[in-house]
Amino acid sequence: MNSTPLLVRVAINCLAAITLGFLVLPILAVIPASFNAASFITLPPASVSLRWYRSFLLDGEWMMTLINSAAVASLTTAIALLLGTSAALGLQQLGERASFVLKGAFLAPLVVPVIVTAIALYRSMIDIAMTGTIWAIAIGHAILALPLVIIMVGVSLRAVDPTWHLAAAGLGAGRWMIFRTITLPNILPGIIGGAVFAAMTSFDEVVIAVFLAGYETKTLPVKMWEVIRIEFTPVAAVAATFMILLAMSLFLVVRTVGPRDVERPS
Amino acid sequence: MRAKSLEAVLLVTPALLFLVIWFVMPLARLFSLAFVGDATTPAPFGELIASEVYRHVFLRTLGIAALVTIVTLLLSYPLSVFLSRLRGVRFFLALYGVLLPLWISVLVRTFSWMLLLERNGPINKALAFVGLTDHPLPLLFNDTGVLIGMVHVMVPYAVIPLYAAITRIDRRLLLASDGLGASPLFTFRKVYLPLSMPGIVAAAVFVFLLSLGFFVTPALLGGSNAMTAPMLIAGFISDRLAWSLAAAASLILLASVLALLWFVSRLVALPQGTLVR
Amino acid sequence: MKARGVGVRLVGISKSYGSVVALQPTDLAVEAGEFLTLLGPSGSGKTTMLNSIAGYVEPDRGSILFGGTDVTTMPARSRNVGMVFQNYALFPHFDVFANVGYGLRARGVGKSEIARRVAAALALVQLDGYGDRKIQQLSGGQQQRVALARALVIEPDVLLMDEPLGALDRQLRKTVQLELRRLHELHGRTTVYVTHDQEEALILSDRVAVMHEARIVQVGTAAELYTAPVDAFVAGFIGESNLLPVRVLALSAGVARIEVPDLARDLEVMASPDVAIGRPARLLLRPEHVVLDAAGGVPGSIDEIVYLGEIISARITLASGAQIWARRLANSPLERGASIRVGWAAQHLRVVAER
Repeated sequence: MNSTPLLVRVAINCLAAITLGFLVLPILAVIPASFNAASFITLPPASVSLRWYRSFLLDGEWMMTLINSAAVASLTTAIALLLGTSAALGLQQLGERASFVLKGAFLAPLVVPVIVTAIALYRSMIDIAMTGTIWAIAIGHAILALPLVIIMVGVSLRAVDPTWHLAAAGLGAGRWMIFRTITLPNILPGIIGGAVFAAMTSFDEVVIAVFLAGYETKTLPVKMWEVIRIEFTPVAAVAATFMILLAMSLFLVVRTVGPRDVERPS
Repeated sequence: MRAKSLEAVLLVTPALLFLVIWFVMPLARLFSLAFVGDATTPAPFGELIASEVYRHVFLRTLGIAALVTIVTLLLSYPLSVFLSRLRGVRFFLALYGVLLPLWISVLVRTFSWMLLLERNGPINKALAFVGLTDHPLPLLFNDTGVLIGMVHVMVPYAVIPLYAAITRIDRRLLLASDGLGASPLFTFRKVYLPLSMPGIVAAAVFVFLLSLGFFVTPALLGGSNAMTAPMLIAGFISDRLAWSLAAAASLILLASVLALLWFVSRLVALPQGTLVR
Repeated sequence: MKARGVGVRLVGISKSYGSVVALQPTDLAVEAGEFLTLLGPSGSGKTTMLNSIAGYVEPDRGSILFGGTDVTTMPARSRNVGMVFQNYALFPHFDVFANVGYGLRARGVGKSEIARRVAAALALVQLDGYGDRKIQQLSGGQQQRVALARALVIEPDVLLMDEPLGALDRQLRKTVQLELRRLHELHGRTTVYVTHDQEEALILSDRVAVMHEARIVQVGTAAELYTAPVDAFVAGFIGESNLLPVRVLALSAGVARIEVPDLARDLEVMASPDVAIGRPARLLLRPEHVVLDAAGGVPGSIDEIVYLGEIISARITLASGAQIWARRLANSPLERGASIRVGWAAQHLRVVAER
């Protein structure tokens, strides 16, 4: 707006900048906290040391949780990608009403509060004696990741021109060849984006994991949760720092290789 | 054409089946417990509604959610306006600043706030240093801490639909209003604000719903002083294995969420794609 | 020109979408090696007909034959058709070579054979050496040629083109039209072309099928359609025309006696087949057949003059209030507002039925 008074514009910019700072900076607070030499956390640290990093990396239990988280995230991604890509492809071919209803159904896991999903799944896992298994946690996370994959692959699919499929069919290509040579290469950004989103969702997730994980299958966030509530030592900050680094790397991967989205200034 | 529909159905079925087996059925199983009751709690709904404590928890959950929504919107609106006017590198930096927090676990973010809001934490120290306070403010283990932490989590969720709606506003309408002699305030009130309303509504609904169901942040930042419904539900299970109470409470919580969604959908048509991110 | 490809016959083809009739029962016969254009405004059914030949649309009734073979139930993939789409539909993630060779790949042709045939196809459309270019690097005209090469390289029984020149600017379109004509003489394949541009249809085609409201109204050469249109729609669609309302008084042996209120007299003119006494009809008077200074002609005044380079076009308001257009070489100037007497070349008049 050209006619916005300078004062208002400055006020908006200041408020926005402060809000941005409010968003980003607090997260970084864990990083200095992880360098605390003492066994309680002070911010800023009274004395600096790497002892908690050593503690984290050498601790069998922390490393086990890291591996568990990786395993769960991989399973979650595989499940969500297979089911989600397939569903996104199917949704695109369906009529408007059908796809509207189904889209609502697929988005349901995002609407239901996670705590409710978590205890419902917990109850059912108890019934079939699957609590404490990696598969159980992966299934729980896949439920949350599925809508994300469907959305991301859907975004990519919308950029696919339907006449390409007609052209390919007219040229003699069968359904599978069309999918392999035409559809798949063009939805790859969406698939990659969905995969990364699914992995990160699983890696970050704590509520479902707290209920479904057993001692051997504890994930990183679950151990962090325990440490924060009980011991509150800087090792939790170390774990948090690792999670931030992982998140940032995956975030950059998705922004580079992921689907072109609408968040560009026109 | 019929073959096409069959193929579409086959493609959609695995995901649908997965959700039915692992999502819908467990939910149904859980909710059934609310109506059956068990040895200790024959009438879970009755108990929940009768108890003043539980009623209080539900009301406070709604209250916190409402407060969080309002504060979040107040912060997110200027940020979205700001974002919509940026170009080039600055746009991407600001955008990443908004989106990156979404990628970081709520647990990590909440933990950060725990460190910051402590009695002897940096915020209190800074306030004392600047001279605004003469004794540390209790920012943790109460509603204030929960509010701060939740707003922090919610702002990115609000900015996304707000930004989408604001960038859709045709700039020429603003120029036209200006050209017709309207003051900036008038243009804002009569043109800009109404046109951004779909985004505001979408953001408000989104944030409110998320806030109702939030567990980690209130649990860590509020503790038992600021009990919310999700914490109550978790407590029923982990503390006492009171399944029917937990089921009933879950049903009430979910019902509130669905009621809100239905209510909003009656009033306003959400613009296409606001939730698709 | 060596005729390649097969003849296409559509017998009783019809298609409806719910209550919307896209194609009324229609027949069409395309000779092997012929260039036939489906010409009509949007909604006339021409794209539906093209898509039926391609196999993208299944007709409700009727049969489609390629040569002697009934392909009606065959999916698009199994028919040997080459289609050039309006937006070219080039695969953006493949380069030119991969695009052109796609159909050969689908048919399991060997690598060296693909390389040979793609090179030949690119040479035909004058894009030699463009094989490793990315689609995004090509201009609109070049993309169009790649699309054509892709359709031709599979040696289709029928080449189908759906308004392929729509996205090109006027100058380029004219060049490409002549180019397509030349290419057809080289490859000689049966071609069915769809357009709404009547000038384009007349330039490119051996025959034109004029379509209107989901049916074929008339099929013929450019000359046939111009001089002997079967009804007022064709008359008005092809070339410039003046269509004056008339009343048919008598009719015998293809000649009708008509009353023309706007010209204030009765005339005897050639009649198109559907003309009948009592049916609404129009007098077709082409602008080039209007004489601007005829003794004993109808009084009128020139109210608009348009200079089209070597041609001058004038709009004349007759005494009755009707307006007609006249066209002649711009040898001598015309004056706006001038009163003139309007005549016509009687042997070129025709009366056509109105639908």
